[in-house]
Amino acid sequence: MLRVDAIQSVLDRVKDEPIIANLGGTTFHLHNLSEQRDANLYTWGAMGLSSSIGLGVALAAPDRKIIVMDGDGSLLMNLGSLGTIARQDPKNMIHIVWDNHQWGGTGGQPTHTAGVTDLAAVARGAGIPKVEAVSTLEALEEVFDRALTEDGPWCIVADVEGGDKPNRPDVSLEENLQRFRKTFAP
Amino acid sequence: MAWSDQIIQGLKDADISLVAYVPDGITWRILGKMEDDPFFHMIPCSREEEAIGIISGAYTAGKRGTVFMQSSGFGNCINALATLNIPSRIPFPMFIGMRGGPGEFNMAQIPGARAVPGILDSLGLQYFSLTREDELDQIIKGGIALCYAGRLPVANLLSTLLTGGRDA
Repeated sequence: MLRVDAIQSVLDRVKDEPIIANLGGTTFHLHNLSEQRDANLYTWGAMGLSSSIGLGVALAAPDRKIIVMDGDGSLLMNLGSLGTIARQDPKNMIHIVWDNHQWGGTGGQPTHTAGVTDLAAVARGAGIPKVEAVSTLEALEEVFDRALTEDGPWCIVADVEGGDKPNRPDVSLEENLQRFRKTFAP
Repeated sequence: MAWSDQIIQGLKDADISLVAYVPDGITWRILGKMEDDPFFHMIPCSREEEAIGIISGAYTAGKRGTVFMQSSGFGNCINALATLNIPSRIPFPMFIGMRGGPGEFNMAQIPGARAVPGILDSLGLQYFSLTREDELDQIIKGGIALCYAGRLPVANLLSTLLTGGRDA
């Protein structure tokens, strides 16, 4: 499964649900595929924090489904976040991890998930109630459709191919933030 | 009003209800009261940087929050502040229980605490030392107003002169 196809598949299934994107390739792909989408929040730094940012959005907007697109290298930097999410138990949170088993933005060095580490098992151990590992687009779509309708919190670890090099978009951080915030205005 | 109650009231007056924290003995004198107060939604975190991510996310969705930590944990926050809050202009007030001041008994707590003001200066973030109860109300309310007006984090350093430090 290519990450770009998986992101497109998620975009095909959402309406105005907020999506918080991990830095690097995921932010680049999401922007390139849905430039006009106001409910996208991109990150350019703060590696590891996309799941934490997403938890904050989920707690602030409990009536909306919140989607986080994380990465294996980033989540490995903030594993405690899984315990915090489990403890807060936001029913509206869908945490997707695009697991390409590498630090894709820095030259493709293998992460721990290229070897022995199983992030779905870590998520289960942290207490996340709905955890699924998927490796095909069809399986991702089936699980994501369930996640959109069933209570979470969900953690979906999706095995994707590494090596993609999306173009870096030119985005103003402040403009993105203000546009995203407006989607929550009463 | 006790210093801890003044801080709690200041947060309530500014409609700051989400509280992400890593506990310590000093700030627990505030956090413990908040845990029993239904106004606040408490979010214990595994690490300080995570707390900043959560409160920043809440701000992007229109809700205000604050972060409590110990001075030693402030070192864990630098990347979040430098690469998220400052470039994206995401404000929040933070409260740092200062170690390393008068009465400190643990040598390991001193260097990190002494570095806090210098790190904040380097990042260009404003901060206030809370040392006296009679100034507290003005600094808390004023600092919170400043924080959201400037759209940058503002730090409140809880001095041992105010808190009495922590017990051994």
